[in-house]
Amino acid sequence: MTIIEQFTPLFAPKTVAVIGASTKGNALPNVFIRRIREFGFSGDIYPIHPGATEIDGLPAYKSLADTPKPVDYAYIAVSGAQIPAMLSAAKGHVRFAQVVSSGFGEVDEGKGLQEELARAARAGGMRLLGPNCLGIYTLRGRVTSTEIGPKEVGPVGIVSQSGGLGTDIIRRGLSRGLKFSGLVTVGNCADVTPSDLLEFYFADPQTKVIGMYIETAKDGRRLFDILRNAKAAKPVVILKGGRTQQGLAAAASHTGSLAGDDRVWIALARQTGCMLVDTLDQFIDTLLIFQALAPRPQRATQKVVLFGNGGGTSVLATDCYARLGLDVTPFEDNTIGALAELKLPPGTSITNPVDCPVGTLQQEDGRVAEKILDIIYAQGNPEALVMHLNLSAFVGRTKPEVLDNLVAAAMRVQEKHPGKAHFILVLRSDGEPALEARKREFRDKAVALGVPVYDEMANAGNALAALATFERFKAARA
Amino acid sequence: MSTTKENPVIAARRAGRNALDESAGKQLLAAHGIKVPQSRVAKGLADVDAVMKGLQAPVVVKVMSPDILHKSDAGGVKVNLRTATEVRAAIEGMINAPKIKGARIDGFLIEEMAPAGHELVIGGLRDPQFGPLVMVGLGGIFVEILKDVSFRLCPIARIDAEEMLTELKGAAILKGARGTKPASLEAIIDVLLKIGGENGLLMQHAGDISEADINPLIVSDTAAVAVDARFILG
Repeated sequence: MTIIEQFTPLFAPKTVAVIGASTKGNALPNVFIRRIREFGFSGDIYPIHPGATEIDGLPAYKSLADTPKPVDYAYIAVSGAQIPAMLSAAKGHVRFAQVVSSGFGEVDEGKGLQEELARAARAGGMRLLGPNCLGIYTLRGRVTSTEIGPKEVGPVGIVSQSGGLGTDIIRRGLSRGLKFSGLVTVGNCADVTPSDLLEFYFADPQTKVIGMYIETAKDGRRLFDILRNAKAAKPVVILKGGRTQQGLAAAASHTGSLAGDDRVWIALARQTGCMLVDTLDQFIDTLLIFQALAPRPQRATQKVVLFGNGGGTSVLATDCYARLGLDVTPFEDNTIGALAELKLPPGTSITNPVDCPVGTLQQEDGRVAEKILDIIYAQGNPEALVMHLNLSAFVGRTKPEVLDNLVAAAMRVQEKHPGKAHFILVLRSDGEPALEARKREFRDKAVALGVPVYDEMANAGNALAALATFERFKAARA
Repeated sequence: MSTTKENPVIAARRAGRNALDESAGKQLLAAHGIKVPQSRVAKGLADVDAVMKGLQAPVVVKVMSPDILHKSDAGGVKVNLRTATEVRAAIEGMINAPKIKGARIDGFLIEEMAPAGHELVIGGLRDPQFGPLVMVGLGGIFVEILKDVSFRLCPIARIDAEEMLTELKGAAILKGARGTKPASLEAIIDVLLKIGGENGLLMQHAGDISEADINPLIVSDTAAVAVDARFILG
């Protein structure tokens, strides 16, 4: 059986069993039933209950072995001690069981119970997810354990050892425009590990970029082998918890196992081309750039042009990008000469960074950007262009359509010079509610056009540096 | 080095040892095609004349004992000896050294001195989750104080070995900074691959070797020679 065939019942289940739903309808599994119905799950839902005949309007069954059809995915949230017997009773009738409950290997007194659970899953003939996790989010199967999430399937495949962080990834991803091919939380990894999901996502045609939150890799050698054999066929972003001694201690109590040594992870990244990030923000920022932009190994990102309003912002960003190994260097004379012929208002800097006050950007209601960018693309030859707009400087001074026109102008230049430069938008704001609302609306528009949008220059810089690292890796090892 | 000899890892395991002594360690390195200085073992003072006939002076004498971990600190290493008489005097001195006196002595390793060059360290260790790792660093303070080392998971490819070297903060020193001769990067890469590569020493003995330490590896502009080596088994 191929890895795709093995995991299809998880990502696109036709039958879902739920253990732990109560007749009163207020337990977490009841919420899960409601969520997957709202999410559009169209298969059969089988509540499992020792006494009830009906739960949430659905016929209930006594055991996992008693359901009318075999169970593709079982969601289990009851107290831990009773679960092993339920699994071993399934007798080959269940493909995947997700044990959300905690109290297993993450605490000393639960280690024995976790072993028992893993044995029971094997005896019952199923793959086990968890314990100590939150569930899955899969649009192709219309199953989700999160309250909200993107309604469109996308290219980002996620595996997370932490359930809560998995939910954060979905929710924050939604607001940033990430679209997922799936998300699986694996908790203590008594059976299914992040490596299993990595293997699936590499093979899965829907997935173009892979994100992993890992606290420990008990099968580290296998993780390395999968990444090495994949030869960076898809970008893999790893958010690794427990990279410091203190973080390691926290991870031990979180997932109940020892985290690997930091230098191993650095070596892993250098050798396999995967990208290590330190924070959830960096994780999402990096996934976003790979979702939006196709890496170009033959022209690895090095020279970056900054274009927007804010002189100090441009200077700080130039420093930041230089530290990240990117070049924000002045244009050559011919480019500067061509830009000078546009006779932009005083206060406009036409080297690189290109600093254009709002007074400049609002010329021709923002269409001036097209002329500037056309010259930059044609003569400046950047590998990436970061357009940054400080929204608070526009408000009250320009027509609302100026911002739209600026981005539309940039998109036209992109089309005129296909494959020339990666285009990234930074929308800066001051947190004021009305401005935030305007930014959100504007960001959604840009994201819909396939533009990755960032809150600050440094976030965009980190993501660009990851893209550059990946491109260089591919170029050196193609 | 003779290939008819028994694999030193298996021999040490059978003898119940948890480490390879220097001679066995070098035999293992030589079996993997890594240059080690010409050496002979003298069981005692009576062997010295015969042993010295087969070697090119100057030589170094090192005590061989399972009880002595740090030979230099114990007074068990004497360098730059030119004649059999000098070698015998050195051995007599060692036998009477306070930190060696009570120890079990297997013999004395008499070894040609490697030509001058850059001192590097190449190491290996087995991670419980990821298996064998290979490490390289510049010797002396670079490794000990600055921790200027680079790690990779085995097996490494040639490009990994190259990147390990460029990643060192002291990489420029190897190219011959401040009037010193450059080190042969090719020779270092060759040793790294023989230790950490696809069929390298660490992969072949992944189940037996928990730590490896070639310190120093002396690298001239043409060659790399493993002057001391330790292997911890387990």
